Amino acid sequence: MEHFIGGTMMLFGDPQAILIFVLGLVGGMLFGAIPGVNMLTLGAVLLPFTINMNASHAVMLFSVIYCAGVFGGAITAILFNIPGAPENAPTCFDGYPMTLKGQSGKAIGAAVSCSALGGVASAILMMTATGAIAGWAVRAFGPQEIFALIFFGLAVSASIGAKTLWKGWLSVFVGLIIATIGTDPVGGVPRFNEGSVFGLEYQSYYLSAGIHFIPMILGFFAVSEVITQAMSIAEGTRERPKAGLEFPTLSEFWSVRVTMVRSIFIGFFAGILPGIGATLAAFLGYSQAHRASKNKANFGKGELEGVVASETANNAATGAAMIPLLALGLPGGALTAMIMGIFQIHGMEPGPLIFINSSDLVWITFAAMFWANLCIVFLGWLQTKTVVHILRVPFRWLAPGILLLATIGAYALRNLVIDVWVMFLAGIAGYLLRKTGYSAAGIVLGLILGKLGESAFSKSMQLMDYDFLGFFQRPIAAGLLILAVIVITTSIINEIRDTDFQKALMD
Amino acid sequence: MTSFFRNAAAAAGFAAAVALAGPAGAEGLEKPAGFGNRPLTMIVPFGAGGGSDQLARAMAKAMEEVAGISFQVVNKPGGGGTAAIPDFMLAPADGYTVLEHIDNAISAFAAGDIRENPAEDWVPLCMTQITFSQIYIRSDEDRFTDWESFSAYAKAHPGDVTMANLGKVGSMELVVMEQLQEALGLKIKQIAFDKPAERYGALIGGHVDVLFEQPGDVRNFLDAEQMKPILTFLAERPSAFADTPTHKEVGADFDALTRFRGFYVKAGVPQDRIDFLAAACKAGFETEDYQAFNKKKYMHLIDSFRDTDGSIELINNAVASYREMYKKLGIGK
Repeated sequence: MEHFIGGTMMLFGDPQAILIFVLGLVGGMLFGAIPGVNMLTLGAVLLPFTINMNASHAVMLFSVIYCAGVFGGAITAILFNIPGAPENAPTCFDGYPMTLKGQSGKAIGAAVSCSALGGVASAILMMTATGAIAGWAVRAFGPQEIFALIFFGLAVSASIGAKTLWKGWLSVFVGLIIATIGTDPVGGVPRFNEGSVFGLEYQSYYLSAGIHFIPMILGFFAVSEVITQAMSIAEGTRERPKAGLEFPTLSEFWSVRVTMVRSIFIGFFAGILPGIGATLAAFLGYSQAHRASKNKANFGKGELEGVVASETANNAATGAAMIPLLALGLPGGALTAMIMGIFQIHGMEPGPLIFINSSDLVWITFAAMFWANLCIVFLGWLQTKTVVHILRVPFRWLAPGILLLATIGAYALRNLVIDVWVMFLAGIAGYLLRKTGYSAAGIVLGLILGKLGESAFSKSMQLMDYDFLGFFQRPIAAGLLILAVIVITTSIINEIRDTDFQKALMD
Repeated sequence: MTSFFRNAAAAAGFAAAVALAGPAGAEGLEKPAGFGNRPLTMIVPFGAGGGSDQLARAMAKAMEEVAGISFQVVNKPGGGGTAAIPDFMLAPADGYTVLEHIDNAISAFAAGDIRENPAEDWVPLCMTQITFSQIYIRSDEDRFTDWESFSAYAKAHPGDVTMANLGKVGSMELVVMEQLQEALGLKIKQIAFDKPAERYGALIGGHVDVLFEQPGDVRNFLDAEQMKPILTFLAERPSAFADTPTHKEVGADFDALTRFRGFYVKAGVPQDRIDFLAAACKAGFETEDYQAFNKKKYMHLIDSFRDTDGSIELINNAVASYREMYKKLGIGK
């Protein structure tokens, strides 16, 4: 506790630190909120400047950007169905329908409060138990457990966003197939980087980099939303959504308390494991809320609980992601890798020694993340009162801006032109998917989990001498795999029981 | 903001001093006519924050100081360093585009994965990081504590001992381990990982028994006494690891491949620009800041610098060794 107070005093006792804190907060939120660019873009731009900054300021700046950036993307997800960043994608499913119903204020209000809650809870957990949790996670979770967890993630992903379970599964499988494009994670063997399509020979080094999920998300959500809106304007059926300014009531928050707590734990847990991170945390939080909810039918049609689930989980992952980084020197994602780079630029190596050698720096970071999450409430409240007015801007002016930013965002990811092509192709595909009831989110999840899962699976198999039963000799892995099979079976049974499937069979 | 401004002022003052001293002090660093008046692009084929990125930014900064040019560092990660190559090859051969790359490009060329020969289709300006590899164990490991006890354990349990390694077929790591196992009659199971950090976690978490890596990349784990080296792949013991035996001492007589990072421009760039950039790289390497950077990464233990000719020799030798090993192992095209 005295460490935390010390860190807070250092943070607010130094005018320069306050300035950086505020700039990080506003910058992270802005870059998170603008579709296309995200906190990684901001991070990459700022990275060279950190060389001349004091080490604790630099690390603090990036952790604040991390917290604020994960929240910022919720706003455009809710208002325009365009997630500002990948971890806000599940927020679209219910946030946008709420906007269409004129409840945009309520959805943003819930997103703000839940982001802050998830972030603060995870910051507290992080401060109390960083060393212990990190040590446990790295020992208990080997490649086998990671694979089992990802398999479980796949088992629940088919229920997201598709009209029927079968279309959901088909979407997920398409994602899994796309994930095989590029260099394979074991032998480094390039796949699908050359060959022939309809007799046309092609060969590309670009394809050896694989298809990244961020341009897919930009295409599926941003570009296809622009096409959808343009079509409905052309058909004369578009109604401009009304801007709602009301905040969710206390009783509404109270009714989703279980979902909040569940999402905090899912998010925190997903954040600790290297490579899983905030995006998966949000998807898992959402799908678990869907499974457990009493009013399942309302999910995807503007259910407050859906927004709560995904926004709590993704912010809960931020604090957790700092744990393996600080305690073990193992970055779990792109932004934490940048923070690791900052440590090294300043001649420090994250790891157990950092708590002894640079305790001040660690605690100013913890304090900054805690206060940044609290500040989200205030800034978010301001936004509910102001940002929703963007809805009044005619779509013909918004659309080119959205397309421009999405293009920049796709390119800025890896500075590779292939990502821009992927985005536009995904945009057209996404439009067709929406019309036919297949799930763009399912494809994205299949892609993300396919890459992670293949890597974990191949390592597991090498460790177990290619004996598949080896998974069942490890309790955590076995438990997760069995749970996944149960989830798949029950969802199939429910689907057959609930739908017109039986009728279709009889006819 | 005071310290920031002080830093900025100091940096500006330093830059001015360098600019004034430049023409007199650093000979051969006069810009060729019509070159260097707009920023150069430095392509890094790996992600921001990683080892290559840190090197590229440190070298870009050093070259900016000594040569009065400015760089824009651009990361183009993917495909183990191959995805950035087309953009580099598409850029005009005017010296404004510099590529950072590592020995992966050499093994990829030797294996036939890429067509571009780094010694012919590209002109190496310089190599600025050359390093050796080591084998690491957990510090609290009780089954073995040094190379002798490890090798006895591995012989008693053939094929059971696991090593976390980078998995690309024909990679420097796998070739060196193949040579070691053949020379000593050991059998160690190689577990292929795709991300460096996962390998460190796998060793510390007890999911594998040993790790193959370069000392600069695991310095934090060495300092924290979580890992310790048991074998060095180098002809002689470097001063910082005087207690660790080399592979030659334990009876493996081969020249171990090294990891090297350097800078390239495309073939066809005017010779005066190549000479200027190569001289800038050499002068940048000698700056105090860069030397301090290399020292932090354990890159000062062996001579880490090669000029253009030295780099071409290093590359050609490496290509020959890789090809010879690939023939033996039956890999490559």
